[in-house]
Amino acid sequence: MNPLIMVIDDSLTVRMDLGEAFVEAGYRVALCASAAEAREALAAETPALIVLDVVLPDVDGVQLLAEFRTRERLENTPVIMLSSEAAVGDRIRGLTRGANEYVGKPYNAGYVISRATELLRPPQGSDAALTILVIDDSLTYREELGEKLRAAGYRTVLASSGREGLRKASDLHPHAIIVDGVMPEMDGTAVVRRIRLDPGLDTTPCLLLTASEGAASEVEALDSGADAYVRKTEDADIILARIAAIVRAAEDSRDRSPPASLMGPKRILAVDDSPTYLGEIAEQLQLEGYEVVKACSGQDALSLLAVEHVDCILLDLIMPGLSGTETCLKIKGLTALRNVPLIMLTALEDPEAVVAGMNAGADDYVVKTIDFEVIKARLRAQLRRKQFEDENRRVREEILKKDAEARAAQALADMHAALHRELETKNRDLEILNKELEVFAYSVSHDLRQPLRAMDGFSQVLLAEYGSYLDAKGKHYLERVRAGAGRMAQLIDGLLVLSRATSHELRRGPVRLDVLARRVVERLRDAEPDRRIEVEIADGLEAEGDAQLLESVLENLLGNAWKFTGTRENPRIEVGARTDAEGTTYFVRDNGAGFKMAYADKLFAPFQRLHSEREFPGTGIGLATTQRIVRRHGGTIWAEGETGVGATFFFTLDPPRRADA
Amino acid sequence: MSRHGRPVLLVEDSQDDAEFTIRALRQAGIVGVIDHMHDGEEALEYLLGSSGATRRALPLFVLLDIKVPKVDGLEVLARIRLEPRIRALPTVILSSSDVIQDIERAYALGANSYVRKPVDFAEYSAVLQQVGRYWTRVNTVVP
Repeated sequence: MNPLIMVIDDSLTVRMDLGEAFVEAGYRVALCASAAEAREALAAETPALIVLDVVLPDVDGVQLLAEFRTRERLENTPVIMLSSEAAVGDRIRGLTRGANEYVGKPYNAGYVISRATELLRPPQGSDAALTILVIDDSLTYREELGEKLRAAGYRTVLASSGREGLRKASDLHPHAIIVDGVMPEMDGTAVVRRIRLDPGLDTTPCLLLTASEGAASEVEALDSGADAYVRKTEDADIILARIAAIVRAAEDSRDRSPPASLMGPKRILAVDDSPTYLGEIAEQLQLEGYEVVKACSGQDALSLLAVEHVDCILLDLIMPGLSGTETCLKIKGLTALRNVPLIMLTALEDPEAVVAGMNAGADDYVVKTIDFEVIKARLRAQLRRKQFEDENRRVREEILKKDAEARAAQALADMHAALHRELETKNRDLEILNKELEVFAYSVSHDLRQPLRAMDGFSQVLLAEYGSYLDAKGKHYLERVRAGAGRMAQLIDGLLVLSRATSHELRRGPVRLDVLARRVVERLRDAEPDRRIEVEIADGLEAEGDAQLLESVLENLLGNAWKFTGTRENPRIEVGARTDAEGTTYFVRDNGAGFKMAYADKLFAPFQRLHSEREFPGTGIGLATTQRIVRRHGGTIWAEGETGVGATFFFTLDPPRRADA
Repeated sequence: MSRHGRPVLLVEDSQDDAEFTIRALRQAGIVGVIDHMHDGEEALEYLLGSSGATRRALPLFVLLDIKVPKVDGLEVLARIRLEPRIRALPTVILSSSDVIQDIERAYALGANSYVRKPVDFAEYSAVLQQVGRYWTRVNTVVP
């Protein structure tokens, strides 16, 4: 639905005139003659923007504005004040009470619409409806296309000729323009060319429609600066898709605050101590479509400039109080106002006064005459100069910005490259280290066992061949030597498994942990067929990982459970899993010897043992290996236990999933 | 020639392990000559060299330690399998390790068996007795 504009004015002419203009520009209107009517209308619907007359029959407009601002729904609603009172004090009063704009009567309807559109323009990146201007001399076609665009969620403004289209374009700053190629008087390519020449509109995407099929007309269309070219015979969906594409492309590059259109209305501040002259010049300039703000002293002018932006200043040189030259010096001394064109008005040809004025920073000077044509021409020239300066500055800033962006991007790329190189070096170092570790483990496994074999072997030879020379004690010591060699061999094997768990390449795939667990338990039963242990393994324990390494995990955990339930009367082992938002946690639980929770973190350190060799044999490497395998899968392992009650080992195989991921 | 007249070739650089191996073979009832070479080069000279197995009977089988100086065990195995005259020679790899890559490579190169030497001498003896009996009594290879 198009935005609602509320016009509150006691003059029927104003209500009708503005109402018509807003409707034509694609808005809906609510027209109210008094504050009472306005309050009633506000109860029905909150408007997008309010045009408010300062003088109302029942209440002061500025007071009504203050009332609006206290209502939550209207806190941020843009308000344009309308006033026939020229006094600077009123303007300042309105603007400081929360008016967004102050327009003097008699107003220019195009100017009011343009300001309203500016105020309603959604901030960049917002999802609010985009405005599309359709220019076509065929009533049927433009109404039909407008209907389809509205159905697709756009706001539409229609124009029946090139001239009307250009005027509406500069008033409304649409997001895109669709223009018919063939129109009487000014054709589509001419419209696009004009738009491309206007600094305020030159980035507006334009789509040219044509009835012809020829390639030549397409070339002409694109030469004129149109962004896209569509045949009228084509499906409306294609036109909608093209519009969506060019609007999207333009949104990416759109300047945050496009310069005001060259053809759009300008606000001029006229400063003169003579009310007669002010009236005359205001009337003349309003006829030209300018909005004129009148100030009758330099002080008034400065107060006003503090709260309101103007496009040009006409300043009388000779005034009581603050003189023109002094006012000019003050204005040009302010950074925010330095660039506003300032034209000095002087009653007579006084070279000295002119030089003083120009030295104070005035941009031009005009001799006050009855003939206003000279002033108008100078004014136009100044506005044009300002416009081109703005445009130049904008282009320069854009180039600077792009340059800075490019430099920042380069710096970022350099940093990335450096980081990448560093990472690569570290990776290479790590790879070398891993290789060395592998070679080390390999030679350990080959060479460290040989001397142990000699110890055990010769002890046995000694027992077999010289046993008769040894008494029981001697034989016992030889058995102790053999036992030591055997234990050393176990430790070496454990270390090798640990180092393999680190360097072994992970081969991930789907793994059935319940199947692996059953296989491990079978082996444990085979090794100790006399032990009666109740084992419960949950079905369908699916996981993702390296089957060989995960079997080794279960071997360790189940082997421990098996071992530590050795002294239990009704030993029981349980393997299962639980799944929650963070993922799946597997567990192996037993009712064996357990451990003190205070030692829980010691369990996983290599060679840490919580039980004596006599109680439960072991190397103290199994859980370290298990932890390493779990970590290599991206998971964690932890244990809970109580002495004499049992132990539960939990592990995950993936980094925890975040609930919001 | 009697089968017991043919020697067994043992390639082993550790004097201790060689002694245990010979003991185990004797316990397995192998009474013939056991030729002991200390490195891969000696082994290849024994099998292929001009003064080597050409004049001598081929061994009954070869016990080849995987980690021997100069030319390593797997290389010796590969050379045996490349030489038409001796390629069928039963060759058993002996190793201290059970590194999976070693086992895979040994079988890929044509080893008849891979034996991990246990630390426990009684176990070692039992394994070697089996190996020895197998290749001297149960199975024979056509020369």
